[in-house]
Amino acid sequence: MSGPVFLALELSLQNVLLIASAIFCVGVYGVLSRRNVLVILMCVELMLNGANLALVAFARATVHRLPEGAPRANESHVFVVMVLAVAAAEAAVGLAILLAAYRRWHTADVGKINLLSG
Amino acid sequence: MDAAVFYVSGVGSLLSSLLVVSLRNPVHGAIFLVLFFATISLDFLILRAPFLAVIQVLVYAGAIMVLYIFVIMLLSLRPEELREGTSAGRKALLALFSGGLFLLLAQAILASPWISSVPDLAGPLPKGAGEVGTTRAIGRELFQRHVLPFELTSVLILVAIMGAIYLTRRRPSERGKVHQ
Repeated sequence: MSGPVFLALELSLQNVLLIASAIFCVGVYGVLSRRNVLVILMCVELMLNGANLALVAFARATVHRLPEGAPRANESHVFVVMVLAVAAAEAAVGLAILLAAYRRWHTADVGKINLLSG
Repeated sequence: MDAAVFYVSGVGSLLSSLLVVSLRNPVHGAIFLVLFFATISLDFLILRAPFLAVIQVLVYAGAIMVLYIFVIMLLSLRPEELREGTSAGRKALLALFSGGLFLLLAQAILASPWISSVPDLAGPLPKGAGEVGTTRAIGRELFQRHVLPFELTSVLILVAIMGAIYLTRRRPSERGKVHQ
């Protein structure tokens, strides 16, 4: 094949899913290792976006694999819309809890907000 | 061409997600989170999801990030509060755990015969595929076949709004008190 190499690159479902799961695992690491509530919430967004990327990739793949692929592909796009709505609700409630906790204890460190730990 | 753009933006989103996790200051993390959302939206465009790409920018980079920045402003964390006491050993252990999780996922992805049989995603859509990912197609799907989940989502968002207002309201005992 002539032309530059990048024109001949193939985009396989495997590579897309590998990138998506790498993003998800980076989010998992952040949620577990960071202490600042704000950063933890941001890492939850990373995880949700990794899952969304996998859903969109599967949607693109079903167009090829199923005889009536297009309606199913749109169905998984609907899933992503739902995930977006849940992410927005989660951010609103999570940040509200953070504000209430900060007002009470003057810290955003999850290690210091330990009223419920026995 | 499409594949090259996808790989560049995919690696970009991976790098910016690493920066979100590793930067100490949440403001810097938020800036790289915006970059992350932009690159993910580019990925969506290449995977033939134009509606979701636009929604990603509008909702995530527009609405949710503004919420985060506002909360960062309201908290006004001092530099000494940003120091995190996570020990290096604990970090290594957690990195090992999430790396293992990634290897598990990668193994499942690479072993699946269905996934490896899918043709090149960057190519054109097959003939007769109809509309995929357009606003019209997703609107039809959402309002014809998934009306109940859609309505339940609106209830969820309503409950989230009420919860956020309830949690952040000022109690009578705190009236007039101003923190520093």
